[in-house]
Amino acid sequence: MDLPALFSTVLWAIAGDASPLVVETVWSVVETVLSIEDWQFVFRNADYLLGGVVITIVLTVVSILLGFVLGFPAGAVETYGDGYLRSAVRNVGILLRGTPILVIMIYMYFVMPIEYLLGPINAAFGGLDILLGPTPFAAPDGIGTAFFAATLALGLRSAAYQSQIFRGALSSIDDGQMEAARSIGMSRFEAIRHVVVPQALRRSVPGFQNEFTIVLKDTSIAFAIGLGELLKRSDDLFVQQTTAVLEVFLFASLIYFVLTFGTNRTLDYVENYFAIPGESS
Amino acid sequence: MTDSQTDRSSRTASETAPLLRIEDLWKSYGDEEVLRGVSLDIERGDVEVLVGPSGSGKSTLLRCVNRLTEVDSGHIYLGDVDICAADTDPNDIRQQIGMVFQDINLFAHLTARKNVMLGLRRVKGMDREAARERANEELDRVGLGDQVDSYPAQLSGGQKQRVGIARALAMDPEVMLFDEPTSALDPELSSGVLEVMAQLVEEGMTMLVVTHEMRFARGGATGITFLDDGQIVERGPPEQLFENPEEERTAQFFQSISHE
Amino acid sequence: MSGAETTESPTGRFRTTSAEPGPVLAVLAGVAFWGWLVTRWLNDWVLARIGVGPGAGENFVPRGPFDAAAASVADVSAGLGVVGLPIEWTATVLSTVAIAIDLAPALAGAAWYTIVLTSVSIILGFFIAVPLAVLRVYGGPLKWLALAYTELIRGTPLLAQLFVLYYGLPLAIWLQDAPLVGYGSIPEQAFWIAIIGFTINGSAYQAEYIRGALESVDEGQLTAARAVGLSQYDGIRYVVLPQTLRYAIPAWTNEVVYLIKYSSLAAFITVPELYYVASDIAAQTFEYTAIFGLLAVVYLGIVLTATKLMDRVESRVAVPGIGRAEGRKQGDA
Repeated sequence: MDLPALFSTVLWAIAGDASPLVVETVWSVVETVLSIEDWQFVFRNADYLLGGVVITIVLTVVSILLGFVLGFPAGAVETYGDGYLRSAVRNVGILLRGTPILVIMIYMYFVMPIEYLLGPINAAFGGLDILLGPTPFAAPDGIGTAFFAATLALGLRSAAYQSQIFRGALSSIDDGQMEAARSIGMSRFEAIRHVVVPQALRRSVPGFQNEFTIVLKDTSIAFAIGLGELLKRSDDLFVQQTTAVLEVFLFASLIYFVLTFGTNRTLDYVENYFAIPGESS
Repeated sequence: MTDSQTDRSSRTASETAPLLRIEDLWKSYGDEEVLRGVSLDIERGDVEVLVGPSGSGKSTLLRCVNRLTEVDSGHIYLGDVDICAADTDPNDIRQQIGMVFQDINLFAHLTARKNVMLGLRRVKGMDREAARERANEELDRVGLGDQVDSYPAQLSGGQKQRVGIARALAMDPEVMLFDEPTSALDPELSSGVLEVMAQLVEEGMTMLVVTHEMRFARGGATGITFLDDGQIVERGPPEQLFENPEEERTAQFFQSISHE
Repeated sequence: MSGAETTESPTGRFRTTSAEPGPVLAVLAGVAFWGWLVTRWLNDWVLARIGVGPGAGENFVPRGPFDAAAASVADVSAGLGVVGLPIEWTATVLSTVAIAIDLAPALAGAAWYTIVLTSVSIILGFFIAVPLAVLRVYGGPLKWLALAYTELIRGTPLLAQLFVLYYGLPLAIWLQDAPLVGYGSIPEQAFWIAIIGFTINGSAYQAEYIRGALESVDEGQLTAARAVGLSQYDGIRYVVLPQTLRYAIPAWTNEVVYLIKYSSLAAFITVPELYYVASDIAAQTFEYTAIFGLLAVVYLGIVLTATKLMDRVESRVAVPGIGRAEGRKQGDA
């Protein structure tokens, strides 16, 4: 099978007279990508980039946790609550879900007086440092404004989405479970706590998985407020050596991909570990 | 469960007031009247079977007894406690009244044993070891001693329902309510459940049973109540309703179901 | 999200009463929002050219009176101390209105970019996604190609993808030299690169949603179609896909909303869409609170319109029995 001939026939069929231009462009792209020099540049600076990875991961985890702490109660209120509280929770959720994360982040950084919260938090870190004095561990120096703003933005938005995940899961539990629990004398709260929630949490895992990867990728938007996470650091390198731009961003993308892939597989494992035996999904 | 009531047929008139007294219950859903002035007395040790066409209000009546459904008017007395009173704690009442559902409703995330233990630990406050032992006993009692660690999804329908009965019995109820316990089961699977129910009858449990299983009604009931369109049409011992009903409607009803 | 209450009418059937203000307010707000946008577009592109009206980019309403009102109200409240807080609040509202008046023309123009960017990308992405999804489910040996594409695109951030396309590849330079790009009212290369980026990104996500919907259509449907004599292709096209697309509507609506919000990232490759314009102005006037607040309102307006629209579409094409497959519905024994 004469591949080159086949290839050029197809190419001419599609691109016609523009074929030489197409070949030229593709070749220049390939050339750029395969530039050894530029890849060397990337690897030399790998530890700078990996510092960004650490920030990315920490930011993701903290934001997800914040989202859970706020989102689970919100979901429960939306499912079981009523009146003003429920409306308030719903409307805040709609606002957070309808606004671009970029706008929320900028708002947190430039508009919200978050310094007031930041002060006590950094003081708490200081206190933790003193506590850890005798041990070989040390607390982090404190968190920067950009990191804090990014955490708040990602965390609050994640809470808005997680509340929907939990609301869906809570209301998908058959009413009969609640009835059976009440029929043996459990109060509404006990029934929710011991019978509905354990089942709902298991059903939330796929949605949670999704949310995790979304937050992970959205940490890249903290670029806009100058946080030194992975994408920002890639940009810094790009500014240093502009010919390496493609390699740098491809490398960063690869790292993101590895992170999301790893997270998904881990959460798959967690889901299987806690799955109720006998139930098929 | 008291021993003094094992011989159901020798009830004396000097016994204390009925265990369960249902007085003039009315319940509507929207404009639809589901219960229209239902009154019923159940003595300790009675096995009362409720029959009637669908929509006659049988299930609603049952659910009013353990207050899963609130009545519009009327009273239900368990001993001297008015179940329907506003200041009666439903959670307390439900510990004394056990319920077995048509949809079974086992707690899907718990093993059979843990299903039974949940009420013992969280409602009765038993400690884990005691609850565990008691759960094992109850499950043994319904013939599922070897399935204690199985999850509901791993059990057959009949087995699940027997766990449901064990779960209700573990709370030491005075009365057991059965809401069409075998309707959702295949015929082969329901025999196990009916056996357990027959066993409870032997042991003198006070039972209020909604069912279409006429074999059980004939064999185990102390009284049959025929409910139609929200009212009690006729009530009496099984022989009367099956062989010699006083009301025309009763006769028609039993005619129609004997063809099933 | 229906806010209407149900009451029981004498005939015993439940009927919704429109006693709640919610839905009416929403419709009014929608009319006001789109009324403003369309009026502004008409003015800037049509009326301005023929010399009618205040001219392109000029305010409809002067902001002066509002600024003056805000200042005088602020004076009043300053004199009242703590008691004057609600009055001070009124001053803030007035000055926000003034800022909004100035900001409106720029935002309207940018909204056009946002809306076009989103719509074109979604539609193009859809036409790539459907074959991709079909390939994934029915494709045999070519499945892995579709899988690799969707996994790679979904596993990397949109912003990184945009950077690769804009800075990394010579696309920008190539497009700049292309005929027509940047000429007249045709947007420059950054816009087209953004479209390419969003199309690719959107297509991967849409492929995933459509794949999920495809898989929730009962196998028996295709079997029955083949049994009647339809080819595999025809069976998929006339029997499976119509059901699939209905199942996919909720997820697809999500994608539309997602893209509307993430179009803001195009700002980083210099596309003059909503976020770019707003942050540009904010950097000059420092009115961050008002500007980004108004920005959020505009985004919300577009997002809510899109969801309502999709709700309508869903009702129009609904078929009894083909339900919303939003995820796994468990509890089915």
